[in-house]
Amino acid sequence: MASVVKSIIDGVKEKGLGGFFRHLKNEGYLRCLPDGNLLQTKIHNIGATLVGVDKFGNKYYEKTENTQYGRHRWVEYAEKTRYNASQVPAEWHGWLHFITDHTGDEVKFVCFLNLFPWKYHMLRKYKPHYNICNEFVLQLLLLKPKRYGVEHKENLSGHGEEFIYHSKGHALNPGQRNWTRYQPWQSTNEP
Amino acid sequence: MGLGLLASKAIRPTTRLINFQNPNNLFLRTIVSKPELRNPEPAAAQPEQPLVDLSPRTPVGGARVHFPNPDDAIEVFVDGFPVKIPKGFSVLQACEVAGVDIPRFCYHSRLSIAGNCRMCLVEVEKSPKPVASCAMPALPGMKIKTDTPVAKKAREGVMEFLLMNHPLDCPICDQGGECDLQDQSMAFGSDRGRFTEMKRSVVDKNLGPLVKTVMTRCIQCTRCVRFASEVAGVQDLGMLGRGSGEEIGTYVEKLMTSELSGNVIDICPVGALTSKPFAFKARNWELKNTETIDVTDAVGSNIRIDSRGPEVMRIVPRLNEDINEEWISDKTRFCYDGLKRQRLNDPMIRGPDGRFKPVNWREALSVVAEVAHQVKPEEIVGISGKLSDAESMIVLKDFLNRLGSNNVWGEGIGVNTNADLRSGYIMNTSIAGLEKADAFLLVGTQPRVEAAMVNARIRKTVTVNQAKVGYIGPATDFNYDNQHLGTGPQTLIDIAEGRHPFSKIISNAKHPVIIVGGGIFERKDQDAIFAAVETIAKQGNVVRSDWNGLNVLLLHAAQAAALDLGLVPQSENSLESAKFVYLMGADDTNLDKIPKDAFVVYQGHHGDKSVYRANVILPAAAFSEKEGIYENTEGCTQQTWPAVPTVGDSRDDWKIIRALSEVAEVRLPYDTIGGVRARLRTVAPNLVQIDEREPAALPSSLRPTFTQKMDPTPFGVAVENFYMTDAITRASKIMAQCSAMLLKK
Repeated sequence: MASVVKSIIDGVKEKGLGGFFRHLKNEGYLRCLPDGNLLQTKIHNIGATLVGVDKFGNKYYEKTENTQYGRHRWVEYAEKTRYNASQVPAEWHGWLHFITDHTGDEVKFVCFLNLFPWKYHMLRKYKPHYNICNEFVLQLLLLKPKRYGVEHKENLSGHGEEFIYHSKGHALNPGQRNWTRYQPWQSTNEP
Repeated sequence: MGLGLLASKAIRPTTRLINFQNPNNLFLRTIVSKPELRNPEPAAAQPEQPLVDLSPRTPVGGARVHFPNPDDAIEVFVDGFPVKIPKGFSVLQACEVAGVDIPRFCYHSRLSIAGNCRMCLVEVEKSPKPVASCAMPALPGMKIKTDTPVAKKAREGVMEFLLMNHPLDCPICDQGGECDLQDQSMAFGSDRGRFTEMKRSVVDKNLGPLVKTVMTRCIQCTRCVRFASEVAGVQDLGMLGRGSGEEIGTYVEKLMTSELSGNVIDICPVGALTSKPFAFKARNWELKNTETIDVTDAVGSNIRIDSRGPEVMRIVPRLNEDINEEWISDKTRFCYDGLKRQRLNDPMIRGPDGRFKPVNWREALSVVAEVAHQVKPEEIVGISGKLSDAESMIVLKDFLNRLGSNNVWGEGIGVNTNADLRSGYIMNTSIAGLEKADAFLLVGTQPRVEAAMVNARIRKTVTVNQAKVGYIGPATDFNYDNQHLGTGPQTLIDIAEGRHPFSKIISNAKHPVIIVGGGIFERKDQDAIFAAVETIAKQGNVVRSDWNGLNVLLLHAAQAAALDLGLVPQSENSLESAKFVYLMGADDTNLDKIPKDAFVVYQGHHGDKSVYRANVILPAAAFSEKEGIYENTEGCTQQTWPAVPTVGDSRDDWKIIRALSEVAEVRLPYDTIGGVRARLRTVAPNLVQIDEREPAALPSSLRPTFTQKMDPTPFGVAVENFYMTDAITRASKIMAQCSAMLLKK
């Protein structure tokens, strides 16, 4: 408890009262009161390691001690009010769901190496534990293909008509083909 | 194993085979496909051939042989199988009777014999060379062999010559898949060609908006030339040049102006003449075929609608010897694009601002029902249109009768038309029966534009029997010899009173035929005209026990059924005093006669003429989208079948009125099409005997005599524009093009 009070005082000192309040709001502490899920995540975060932050600002945590196996990785969404699992981008999905131990940042790094292969010396410099073998595995795991991949997009279904995803041939897809094979009579007053 | 090794392994056995069979000339390429065809020997005469299979074979296409004189039957042997055929049959026909299909290009059973394609070569015993079977008369005891090496080699040779100058563009050819040349080269041709030179190319001809020509594909079978001059009766097409310079064409730059020109597309065995509107639209194997009938005129031609998904792609004829043989008119064939344009797809109500607003069926029907109850029963009028089926007409009549009105009639039927005697409004001779005739009197009818298929029969009769044709009516063009006797009823009286020279021709004729035009029904003095015609018939002995030559040629598909059902206007000016007018597809009614304050309901499938006067529009199905009974001008009942789904929210005609009757609280007692037909059976039993021609039971001489004065005004033209007669054809772009280019309208 003392540490919590101390960190609050430190925060206020650092940012000023208004700045600290804004910080609290941005981090979602104010939403903790109505949203127990968020509160629980926040409590979980205490003592966990922050493994990485993706391009959307989602924070990925891991805690290996004193947690149930299978619940030792989690995400705190950047969006505090309206969050769902589709906001996790593809490169982090594997890590979060225990498919791989490579984090999204590592995947990005290999992407970078694939684009600029002459910078391989950086591999030895920054990630000394890498060898060619697990670099090959990483290449297979590349979740953002270089040429034909599209940017990750969260699923906005349920947030309005215009956000619903319709596949190409769907009747409600605005770009669908017109299958009407007749021309209807247009009402005019004079023949 | 390397690729080269594989290839050499694959090649080696063949090389050995060639070496083995042809040791002397290894480099000589041969054309024949089988080794036994290299040096074919004529089949030896085998008098005592052991006949294994003597069971009767089915003739090609289920053809029946008619023996006009049983004594003239001769017997020939086709592949050792004896067949009895009448004298005068060709070898090819004998083979057909024996169930052997001989390949052919130039031969067509309805055209004269040309014998120039040579594809039908067969071997005849004791004949030194193969003979062209289409041009060779069969002689008694002839031994025809169709399956010998000589015949096979002859076919292969002919096929090689034909393919020499035929382009190899089957993948982009519209005929591909239904091409005689394609099929027969697969069946009878060789598997390789020897031709390495340049192919001939021919300039394409412009035959008008309907027929597309790719003359390089032409194999000079001359079927189209013979069709144009023999059946269509126009001398537009001909052969120019000789040898390899031979070309089909119009001699001068000219369009093909025939109402039957579309049929050259069907008879062309290759892709030289194809349909212009259908070009590159679909391949024939992806089309669904629906056998139905045509409603653009009163002939009721048998057609096949080829559709792909919700779209009618083309219309082609269907064989019916009694009605249209195997031809159809251009209007029938090319009107189909009208089915896709100007369609009514939603019920609509005209708002106070004069604009139509789409509504749902419930609203539209309740508005109509409310108005129908507000007016007096005698102020209700119903008119059925040119394209209405029998079911919808009986339902309309029942509905209006339940509302208390009997003012219901079909379009093109004048006041007090005699609908009691069926012989007074149908073609009693029957269309096929016209072929027997030897004298025609056409009264106020231009069959070429009113019913092109009937005209083709008359033309056939005129050319075969040298029948005389007399015509009374406004000047018009015929495609056979005729005498223009006069323009008005005065000439009719002259003939009836025996003053005119043509009355002698009628009385001298064995099988005289009088055809009265359906336009007469619109005249006020129709009874007097029919009385005059009746007099001529009596004097010329036109109606006998074995021959009934008194005919009426109706104008629209719905007319015969409307008259059978008694849809005849009862009084002169019921339309002028109407307050509620129900137009069921009636687009050629004089809309100025409808009072300004009348409430007009238009039920139909096209936004044509009457929608602009309507207050409520109820969308209905067109003939290609519904099951409907139509009776043609000779009294043959036929049925359409739905080929494509209905458009938008439209419904079958009878269902709309049935639903309306429920909303108007005068519920009609039938719910299914079977129920409606049971009702039809009680009114006109002939209308439910599908595909049967019901001749009129009583002669029209039972008609009560009238002392009406004949109006001396000349007969009018019933069909102003052949290509645009009803809502569908008026909506069609192709038909508009035709009338602009061919009729200069």
